[in-house]
Formats: sequence, structure tokens, C-alpha cells
Amino acid sequence: MTLNVGLPLLVLAMPLVSFVLLAIVGPLRRTGRGAGLVSIAAIATSCAAAVFVWTQGFVAERTWSWIPADGGPVATVGVLVDSISNAMLVLVTLVSLLVQIYSLAYLGDERPAALGRYYTYQSLFVFSMLGLVLAPGFLQMFIFWELVGLCSYLLIGFWYERPAAARAAVKAFWITKLGDVGFIVGIVLLWSATGTFEFTELFEKAQANALAVPGLAAIMCLIYLGAVGKSAQFPLHVWLPDAMEGPTPVSALIHAATMVTAGVYMVTRTEPLFALVPGVLTLIAWVGAFTALLAATMACVEGDIKRVLAYSTVSQLGYMMAAAGSGAAPAGFLHLLTHGLFKALLFLAAGAVIHAVGTNDIFRMGGLFRAMPQTAIVFVVGTLALAGVPPLAGFFSKEAVLGGVWEAHLTGPFLMLALTALLTAFYMFRVVFVTFFGRAHAGGHPHEAPWAMRGPLWLLAALTLVVGIRLAMHGVEAAEEAPPGWLPPFSVGLALAGGALAWAMYQRGAIDPARVSAVLAPLDYLARRRYGLDALYAGLYRGIILGFSRLIGWIDRYFVDGILNALTALTLRAGDALRHIQSGRAQDYVYGVAFGVLLLFVWAQLWR
Amino acid sequence: MTLETVGFWVVAVVLLASSLAVVLTPNLFHAVLYLAAALVATGVVFLMLEQPFLFAVQLLLYAGGVVTIVVFAIMLTEKLVGERIRQTSRHLVNGAIVAAAVFVGIAGFLLRAPLVTLRPGLEADATISIGRALVGPFAITLELLGVLLVTALLGALYFARSEE
Amino acid sequence: MIGLSSYLVLAALVFSIGLFGVLTRRNAVGILLGIELMLNAVNINLVAFARYNGDLTGLIFTLFTISITVAEVAVGLAIVIAIFRVRRTVEADRLDLLRG
Repeated sequence: MTLNVGLPLLVLAMPLVSFVLLAIVGPLRRTGRGAGLVSIAAIATSCAAAVFVWTQGFVAERTWSWIPADGGPVATVGVLVDSISNAMLVLVTLVSLLVQIYSLAYLGDERPAALGRYYTYQSLFVFSMLGLVLAPGFLQMFIFWELVGLCSYLLIGFWYERPAAARAAVKAFWITKLGDVGFIVGIVLLWSATGTFEFTELFEKAQANALAVPGLAAIMCLIYLGAVGKSAQFPLHVWLPDAMEGPTPVSALIHAATMVTAGVYMVTRTEPLFALVPGVLTLIAWVGAFTALLAATMACVEGDIKRVLAYSTVSQLGYMMAAAGSGAAPAGFLHLLTHGLFKALLFLAAGAVIHAVGTNDIFRMGGLFRAMPQTAIVFVVGTLALAGVPPLAGFFSKEAVLGGVWEAHLTGPFLMLALTALLTAFYMFRVVFVTFFGRAHAGGHPHEAPWAMRGPLWLLAALTLVVGIRLAMHGVEAAEEAPPGWLPPFSVGLALAGGALAWAMYQRGAIDPARVSAVLAPLDYLARRRYGLDALYAGLYRGIILGFSRLIGWIDRYFVDGILNALTALTLRAGDALRHIQSGRAQDYVYGVAFGVLLLFVWAQLWR
Repeated sequence: MTLETVGFWVVAVVLLASSLAVVLTPNLFHAVLYLAAALVATGVVFLMLEQPFLFAVQLLLYAGGVVTIVVFAIMLTEKLVGERIRQTSRHLVNGAIVAAAVFVGIAGFLLRAPLVTLRPGLEADATISIGRALVGPFAITLELLGVLLVTALLGALYFARSEE
Repeated sequence: MIGLSSYLVLAALVFSIGLFGVLTRRNAVGILLGIELMLNAVNINLVAFARYNGDLTGLIFTLFTISITVAEVAVGLAIVIAIFRVRRTVEADRLDLLRG
């Protein structure tokens, strides 16, 4: 086995080893911190290997036959190593490593057994995500896709005694499952049309124009559905805000940097296939842009700091999808990478705040800058990156996305994305001003977070800055053509306008927020109620699924059981009735014989 | 109206009447006596079929032996119970219907079957032929019959013994 | 003309009458009398067939039937007596130990 296959396999294997070890060896798991150290050690190894693989720029593909058949195996497992997978390897392992270190402090008050469970799930998650990233074909990707969804469920519902958390976990599972149904149907249809799951073979066929499959647009649409669910595109975005019931490190890892990006990664990976159906790509772009705008409006009225960040994630995922749909998949991927960094940063910083203050509500915080200056600084760095202010990394990736959408002449999405950029800056600075500045009226005694939490924060902030500077120096390789000259100032201007608006409304008090919401009353009303989508889904669930299950239950009780009961009653009654034949008297039996003889006569007569 | 026809009809009437009496009379003892009459009538039927040997066998075994046995049995059981055995029948109508149906069934088959009406001539004395057949082709059957009779004898003895 | 069918019909009648007796008599001995009649009818059948088809076999069978009937009557009545000793009853209705 060569190094360019072996090392990625090592990256993949280490978290698996950690998971298996923690899952099987109960005493180790129950030590809590011990389990954490095992998991951290494994992932640190993975991270180091991933960095090496990425910097060396390995390219490889290796598969092993899994389900053998005549004429080539039906299913294979293996690894596909190239530039995008390498970048994802680094992102996943790095953010996971930082999150796991952070969790040691954040979840330090948990019972050791629960903490051990947490790290077991974390290891499983990292393994699954890496397996997804390295998948050489649709089948393996789907398997790890589902595994990742399972880990999301387990980790969202980590505090399973809380009903809200349990509900949120189930909701996440259900909604993403809706998308997954489309995904698997699409995969199977594609396989039945082409006979293969493997990406390289499919891309070759696409190149050779041999993929003129009828209904390819529909198939790719179905496959896109999986991404809709997993990457929280409209209308399957409703699970992500509720998923904030999980611990903040989980939100940072899964619902900001890694799992939700799996959909974007899938679309990016299979871009040659989507390129064959431009209609679907346009759909993806429109849906992405619309999602971005929708989520941004909801973030503007949200008071829970984690929910704001969740909507922000949905919004940014919309950006990435819009880029992919515009044919600028590299731009979208770049945004995925940078967003992973600064969104994880924002979540972890928010976690530090929550840990210190004891509440998620920003309107119960205020003036925290004095109490936790370091946290405030890194949060502002993250905000600037998210808003798209140079020279931080977010500016370059967002500009690349906008440029890609503009170049594809998709005006509608472009306008939506531009407005979203404005709103993004607005709501993020709103959070900054309300939380860290202004009058201090936070309860508890806010203090700076311990080093286990601060360390990852500073590292991520530094990375955001460093990546941004590097992108500034080398230029964005992802852009195919240079973006229009007016674009950079335009996007910076949007960011500054949003920030100024937030400053005016929340810091200076120059514009009263209440009056603004009165002016925009219908929009405000809808946004606060999440546009009724949650209610719609809940109603559908109650009406259709629960109603259906009640119907089935009724059928089971009255028809199925009824038939059984009727049969048994019939048997008993027939037995009672037939008992009278056995009278014990010989003469009655002679009657029986005589009847039999008569029957024989009749039968013989009929037979003549 | 030949003699044969008249004779047949007379014997038939006697046979049927005594058979009906056997099954209908309330007194069991009388029933046995009527049975004896029926058996003798059957013997006469055999005579009409030109089988004198069988006529003799019928009289000896049936009318003689069987009737005697039944009479003894009745006397024994009557003695046990201690009073004259009154014989009442039950469900006469049901039995009549079933019996009639069986008769109709059999007769239906009979009357549709092509049956001979003329008797072939008698070749030899039947008795000698029967005797030859018994020790010839039917020898094994004869031996088996002997075994059966011994078994019956032993069985009857066993049942009839008094309790120790 | 007295053909074979006349004898057979006669035998059938006796058979039916015997069957009637078996079905309706309450006394066990009475039932045995009915059986006697049925066997008698069979004998008439056998002899008639033997005569009209010129076949000896029927006569042989009649002899056997008569012998077997005698044996059966003997054993049957012995059983009846044995039952009467134990159960002290005559009627067939009361002999229902095989009731299910």
C-alpha cells in the first residue's frame, strides 16, 4: 500500500479505533476525562496525518470489492484522495480536535459516564464524516451519510432527559431522512441506468457523453434532495435551529463546520454530473439564494445567541449552494472551508459566553466586554469574517461566491445574496453590540473562560486571519475569471452598511428597533414565527403520520385481532357443536355409516 | 302363473312379514321366534334356488344354532334383570327414513343393471362340487375358518366364565 | 318371470328391514337380531348370484358367511352377558362410555 493511500486510511482509521475502544471498553469510557484524552489523542494523530496529506497534495484512488458479482463488483469501499477531499480532511480533523479539547472544559461538569458517552459519539462522528469525505462512490458516501445523521441525532440528544433535546434530535433525524429518501432513490436510479456507483467511472461516462440517461434531470434532482436535507436548504431547513438543543461544541462541529457541509461537499464532488443538467443547477442556485435570504431575515429577530448562529449557518450554506449552482463550485467550496473556521469560532465563543453567563438570551447579557475581553475580541474577529470584511478569510470567499453568481448571470440570486450580505452584517453586529457592549445586566458572575476553551478560540481566530492574508496575497485560485472590478468594494460596502445600521440601532440607540419592527410589521411577524414552516411540518406530522398510525392501530385492533378472535371463537363453537356427534352410542354411529353409504350411492349415481 | 312364481311370492311374503315382526314386536322373545321363521323362509328360498345343501346348512346352523344361542342369552339377561324385558324402540321415523333410503339406493342400482333372467342348467350335484372346492381351491380359507371358530369358542368361554 | 333381480330386490328389502332394526331397537340383543337379518339378506344375494351366473364361488361364500355369523353371534352375546353383569342394564342408550 502506497503512502498516498495509506496515510488517508490512517486518518480515517484513528477515530474508528478510538470509537471501538471507547465503545467496547466500558471502564475506560466511564472515566470521562480518560475517554476524552483517548479520543483527543486519536484525532490529533488524524489531524497531523491530514495536514501532511494536504500539504503534500496526495492524489490517489483505491477501492476494495465489497459485494462481488459477475462482471465486476456491485459495491466497493475505498478511498478517493484529491485536493478537495484533502482540504476537507484537514478541516474536519482540525475543527474536531479543537472542539474535543474545548469540550473537556465546557462539559467538565458532566457525569464521567456521560462524558465518556459524548467522546464515543464524537469519535464515531469524526470517523463517519471522514468516510463520507473519502468516499469513492455514491454507495459508500450514502452509508456514511446516514452514519453522520445518526451521530447528529445522538449528539443533539446528548442531554436526553430534556424533552426539548429529545424532540429536537428526532426532528433532525426525520427531516434529514426526508432528504435521504430522495438521495437513495436517486442513487439507485442512477445505478440502474449506468451500472456503477463509482465517481470516477460516472465522471468518465459524463465526459464521453455516454450519460444520456432519460430522466437524468429528475435523478440528479433526487440526489440533490439529500443535500437539501443535510445542508438545511429550504424547505428542509427547520431542523437546524432546533438542533441547538445539543451542547455548543456539538453545534460548532456538526452544525457549522462539518456535517451540514456534507451536502455542499456532495454537490461539489459530483459537479461533473450536475453540469449535465443545467436546469437542476439553476434550481440549486435559486434555492440556495432564497434559503440564504430567508434565514437571514429570521436571524434578525432572534434573541437566542445560538439560534442566531444557526440561522446564520443556514444562510451561509445557502451561499455555498448558490455558488455550486452557478457553476462556481470551487468558490462555494472555498466558502465552505473559511466558513467552517469562523463559524466554529463563533459557536465556541458563544459557548464560552453561555458557560459564563448561564443563559442563551442576548437581551439578558450586556457589557460582557469588560468581564471577558478575550472572548469578545475573538467573537468580533469571527463577526468581521462572517460579515465579509477584508483582510479576513470570509471576505475573499464571499466575494468569490458573489462573483461566481454574477458571472453566471443569475440576477435574482445575486440580488438575494447581496441583500443577505447586508443582513448578515446587521444581525451579527446586533449580537455583538447587545451582548458585549451596552449596559451590563447579566446575572451570575461572568468570567473569562478556562484555557482549554480559550486556546481553540485563539487558534481559530488566528487561522481566520492567516488564511485571509494568504488568500489576499496569492489571490483566490478558485475564481475562474476575475470578478468584476466593482464587486469587492460593493461587498465591503454592504458589510459596512449592515454594521453601521446595527450600531445605529443597538449601540447608539439612534433608531429605535421597536419602530423598525413596527414599520416592517408583516415581515417581522412572519420572521418571528419562522414563516409558519415549523407549524406546517408539525401539522403535517400530526395529521398525516400520527393519523396514519392511529388508523393502522385501529385496523390492527379491530380487523387483524378481530379476525383472529373470530377464528378462535368459531373454532370453540364448532368444537362444542361437533361434540354431539360423539354420543358414545353405537346406534348413532350406525346412522353415520348409513348416511355414508347413502352419500356413496348419490356420488356413484352422479358419476355415471 | 307358474308354480315357481307362486312359490316365490309366498316365500317372499312370509320372509318379509317375519322380518318386519322381528324388528317391530315389543316382546324380545317373540322377536327371536319370528327370526327363526325368517331364517326358515330363507332356507326355502335356497331350495327355490335349487340348493338343497345350503337349505340344510341354513336350517341346522341358523335356525337351529343361532336361535338357540339367542334364546339362551335372553333367558340369561332376563334372569339377571329380574323382569320380563320389554322392548320399546326409539326414533322409529328416523330409522325408517334411513332404511328406506338405503333400500331405494340399492334398488336403484339393481333395476338399472342388466341382470340375467334365465337360469342356466344345473350341471352337477352342487354338494359334491362344494365339497371338492372346499378342500381344493378354498382349503386355506377353510382352515382359517377353523381357526376363527376356535378363537370364538375361546372368547365365548372367557366371557362366560364366572367371576372368581 | 322370476329373474335374478327379483331375488336381489327381496334381499335388499330384508337388508333394509334389518337395518331398521339395528337403528331403532333399544335392547342390545334386539340389535343383534337386526344384524342377523342383514347377514341373512347377504346370503340370499350370494346364492342367487351363484345360481344365475353358474358360479360355484357364491355357494362357498355362503357357507363361510353362515359359519362366521354363528361365531360372531356367540361372541357377541357373550359380550352382552358380560356387560349386563357389570352395568346391570339392558338398553343400548346407557352403554355410552365412549362419549366425547
